[in-house]
Amino acid sequence: MAAGFITLIRRTFVAIVVGMALAAAIRVRGRGGVPPQTGGWRELRDDELA
Amino acid sequence: MTSEPTGAAAVVFGAGATGLRIARMLDDSPSVGSVEVRDTDLERLGAVASRLGPKTRIGQGPAVAEGTDLVVVATTAGSQAVLALAAVKAGATVVTTTNEIAETRALLAAGKEARRHGVALVVGAGYMPGLTCLLARVGAAGFDAVDEIHVAKAGTGGPACARQHHRALSSLAIDWRDGRWTRRAGGSGRELCWFPDPVAGRDCYRAALPDALLLVPAFPGVDRVTARMAATRRDRLTAPLPMMRQPHPEGGVGAVRVELRGRRRGERHVVVLGSQAKPAQGAAVVAASTGLHLLGREAPAGAAGLASVPDPDRLLSAIAALGLRPSRFEGFALTHDAVA
Repeated sequence: MAAGFITLIRRTFVAIVVGMALAAAIRVRGRGGVPPQTGGWRELRDDELA
Repeated sequence: MTSEPTGAAAVVFGAGATGLRIARMLDDSPSVGSVEVRDTDLERLGAVASRLGPKTRIGQGPAVAEGTDLVVVATTAGSQAVLALAAVKAGATVVTTTNEIAETRALLAAGKEARRHGVALVVGAGYMPGLTCLLARVGAAGFDAVDEIHVAKAGTGGPACARQHHRALSSLAIDWRDGRWTRRAGGSGRELCWFPDPVAGRDCYRAALPDALLLVPAFPGVDRVTARMAATRRDRLTAPLPMMRQPHPEGGVGAVRVELRGRRRGERHVVVLGSQAKPAQGAAVVAASTGLHLLGREAPAGAAGLASVPDPDRLLSAIAALGLRPSRFEGFALTHDAVA
């Protein structure tokens, strides 16, 4: 009975640690979006500000 | 006996990276006769005394004397509402630079007091909020109706700004969505935002940013207003923890962007405006220009952000004249390769 309980705790602990490791790996190694392929920034001229 | 200086009397609260620059810009203006800089950190005040302009002196305490024309509050976020209210009661035009949600609410609520005293209280006149609100207002002139406003920023100014940035990422964000306020977890909602060079593309996330509180009242009928800020994965992982080390005296080059979506002549229309600068420099230019802008005109009494400022085009021109020139994202390549 006690051995089964310890096994349950051990498996739960392992599952949590594995889950956290996976989540951390996904978060740290996740990729951003795709940057724009066209376009660019242009400073506004004085006549565009007024 | 010394002669009284001509021009407006200004008080600047805060002698940090932003406040010190504001004091210098006001000192440079011919329409300002005297500038008083105050800070609770007397050691810092002593250290910056030699870097102040000829019309600037050091003062102490939160009280604002009757007859003060302009008060600019550039202290740590969270300490600005009390100072602003004291300045309003003294009858001064007040410009604040807060970027905190609770304080923005408190300052907007102080609008009743500002109306009672017949003075203007500008809320969040920094880089973001501040320049972003102004860009939204100016950019909206090209629309028949604005449906969505999405703002984002990258970078931090002085240490106080860096601490606020850290707190914001782990706090609840507030968005305006389909006509009601929505709370979302800070650090969620990743979106790749493209800022003016050299900042370029950065992953941005929701955070406790007050921009929607200032933009929604200025754009009646808008469906969606969101605010995001750039963060690294390390920022997100460490956001719930206390800051592990002292922030830098000042961050590097940062940027802001404003994306407006709506209708023009019956068609969908999108405009993206932005700016790049050191955030403390950008905030100082916006706050000082706003103060000088309001000194010369009849501003409506009450509290509002820069999206509601009178004569916004002229203010943006003044800001550009001080070196903070906004940019516009064009939907075509500007590189030599593309031209060829």
